[in-house]
Amino acid sequence: MGQVIVCCGSGGVGKTTTSAALGLALADQGLRVAVLTIDPARRLADALGVGALGNDSQAVPLAQVLPGATGSLDAMMLDMKATFDGVIRRYSPDAEAAERILGNHYYQFVSTRLAGSHEYMAMERVLELHGSQGYDVLLVDTPPTRHALDFLSAPERMSGVMNERVMRWLTLPGTARGFRVLERGSQTVMSVLKRLLGSQTITDIAEFFAAFQPLWTGFRERSLELRALLHGPETTFLLVSAPTPAATAEAREFLEILRARELPFGGLVVNRVAERPADLGPVALPAALSGLSPETWAAVSRALQGAADHQRRLADGQGPVLEELLSTRGDAPAWQVPQLATDVHDLDALRQVARHLVPLARLVASGSTPVEEPVPRA
Amino acid sequence: MAATPQGLLDKRVVVVTGKGGVGKTTVALSLALEAARQGQRTLLAELAGSHQVPAVFGQASQGYEQQQLAPRLSTLSITPEAAIEDYVVQQLRFRALYRVVFENRVMAPFVAAVPGLHDVVQLGKIWELEQATDLRGRATWDLIVVDAPATGHGLTLLTSPRSMMALTVAGPFHDNARLVRDLVEDPSRTALVLVALPEELPVNETLDLYERLDELQAQVGLCVLNERHPEPFDALEAWPGIRSALAQGPAPLAQAVGLIDRQVARAQAQRTARRRLEEGLSVPTVELPFLFHRRLTQDDLTGLGRRLTEAL
Repeated sequence: MGQVIVCCGSGGVGKTTTSAALGLALADQGLRVAVLTIDPARRLADALGVGALGNDSQAVPLAQVLPGATGSLDAMMLDMKATFDGVIRRYSPDAEAAERILGNHYYQFVSTRLAGSHEYMAMERVLELHGSQGYDVLLVDTPPTRHALDFLSAPERMSGVMNERVMRWLTLPGTARGFRVLERGSQTVMSVLKRLLGSQTITDIAEFFAAFQPLWTGFRERSLELRALLHGPETTFLLVSAPTPAATAEAREFLEILRARELPFGGLVVNRVAERPADLGPVALPAALSGLSPETWAAVSRALQGAADHQRRLADGQGPVLEELLSTRGDAPAWQVPQLATDVHDLDALRQVARHLVPLARLVASGSTPVEEPVPRA
Repeated sequence: MAATPQGLLDKRVVVVTGKGGVGKTTVALSLALEAARQGQRTLLAELAGSHQVPAVFGQASQGYEQQQLAPRLSTLSITPEAAIEDYVVQQLRFRALYRVVFENRVMAPFVAAVPGLHDVVQLGKIWELEQATDLRGRATWDLIVVDAPATGHGLTLLTSPRSMMALTVAGPFHDNARLVRDLVEDPSRTALVLVALPEELPVNETLDLYERLDELQAQVGLCVLNERHPEPFDALEAWPGIRSALAQGPAPLAQAVGLIDRQVARAQAQRTARRRLEEGLSVPTVELPFLFHRRLTQDDLTGLGRRLTEAL
C-alpha cells in the first residue's frame, strides 16, 4: 500500500508549488509519485509545465529536470464532472438507472455545485488511485483552507446527506404529490421546505433521490472506506503556510481541526521565508573594476547596501510572524523554504524549491511517516 | 466609462475579491476606513465565518452581531449557518418552526446540501443590510464593503443568486434570490474590486476571473495591485559587466549581488504585472505599497485607504 500525503493550507501560501516540488523531491528519491490537485485553478499544470491537466495522469518529463532520477512523477487534476459521472455509473445496478440520474435536472447542480461534492469527488479519486497500487506516494493538493475543512468532512457530509431516513422521507411513494404517508413531524418539515424552496424544487430533488436510491449502499460503503483511509496509518497531513498574519491565523485554525478530528499531522512547510543577509560591511572596489568612475562605483555601493538592507528589513518584519507560525505546530517538524527570486511557475524554479524539501522527502522515502520521526527544523 | 475609486465609494455595496493571500481583507478594510473617514456610515462584512477584522482594532469578534470598530465603521462576520437561520426565521416568522426543520437531525444535512444555498444566503444577508433603514426611513448603511472569498469561490458566490433561481424555478426562495441578483447585478448599486499581487500567477488568476465575470465585468470598478515593493536599485547601463566582477567577490558581496538580481527580477515582474492588468482590464489599476512590518495597524490601513482614493 502506498502512502498518502495530503497538503493543506490557506490560499496563496504556495500549497500547489509545495505539492509539486515535494513530488519532484520524492521522485528523486526513487519513488513512483502521483500529484493530484483538486484546486479548480490550473496552477499545478502551470507549475509542472505539462499543459492542461485532466483526470488522466500526465508524466512529468523528469529526465530533463532531474537527470538520473530513478522514480517517476505523474500529475493530474480532478475532473469533477467526469469523476462524479463515473461514480454514478459504477454504483448503478444498470445503465438505465445511471442515465436516470445523469439526465436529472437536479443532478446537474449536485454534480458541480453541491456543497462538499467537489471535495468528495477528490477523495473518491484519491481512493481510486490509492487502490490502483501504481504509486508509492500519492500527494494530494487540496483547495484553500476553508474548503479543505470541507474536504476532511466530505465523507461524513455526503453520507449525512445520503442518509437513509432522508431518502425514505423524500422517496416515499407520492412524496412529490402529497405527504399522506408521512408522520406528522415530517409533514411539517416538508411543508416548510415547500414554502421556502417551492414545490417544483422539492419534486425535482425527490426524483433525484428516488433515482439515487439503488446507489445508496455503494456510496455509503465508499464513504466509510474514505474515512478509513484518511484516518489510516498510510495517510499524513502536511500543513503548508507562509509567514503572514492571515496565513498564521488560518494555520492555527486548521491545526485545531486536524487535532480535534484526530487526523495524523506530519509537519509544517513554511514557504516564502525571508532569509537574513550576511553583514556586507564596507565594500572595496575590486581590481577588475578599477576603471570605474567614482560616481558609478558610489552608485553600485549604494545599490549593494540597499539590497542587503532591503532583505534585512524583510527578514526583520517577517520575524515575529514566522515565530508565531512555527509555534503553532507543537512538537511536529517544520521545513522552511526561502522566498525565491521570482514566482515559481516552471520546472527549474520548482527544482529549487524541491532542494529545500529533500529532508522531508528522505523521511517519506525511509517509509516512516513524518509524524513518527520528527527531524530538527532547518 | 470606468468608475473612479471616488465613484466606487458612492455605491451601496462594494465586493472585494482576488486570489487567496493577496490581501483582500487589507484592501476591503482600507476602503471601508476611507469611506468612514469621508463621512459615510460604513459596514464591513466578512464572509464564510472569516473574522480577521476586529483584531486590528484590538477587539474580539462578535461574529454575526454587528460591532463598531471606529467612528462610522462597523463590522460583522457572516457564516452560512447564521445567515440561513436568520433568513428562515424571517420567512417563517416563527423560530420554533425553524428548529423543527433546520435543527432536525435528519433533515439538517440535507438542507445544508442544497446547491448554492450557502452562498446565496450570505449575499441575502448583504441584501437585507442594504435594505435596512432607521426610524426616519434613512438607509442604515451608506456603504457595505464585502470581503469576499478567493476568486473561484468568489465567482460562485456572485453568480449564486442566478444559480438558485435556475434551481428553484419558482417559489419564495426563487423570488428572494431574484431580489439579491438585482442588487448584485445593478451597476449603480454594486461594484467589484479585484485584488492582485504583482506576480505572474495572481495576475493570471485576476485576468481569468475578469473573463469569467461575463456581464458582471462592467461592475468592476477598480483593480488593486497590492504589496508593491520599493525599487531601490536604479539599473546602470554598465551593470552586467560590474555584476560579474562583483559576483566573484567574497560571500557577503556575492550574496548582495544575488539580492540585487532578485530586486531587478521583482521590479521587472511588478512592471509586467501592472502592464498586463492595464491592458487586460478596462478599469484603473492602483498600486499599494508593501509594508515591511506584516501586522498592519489601523493607521497603516487608513493610509492605504487614502492612497486608494488619491491615486486617481
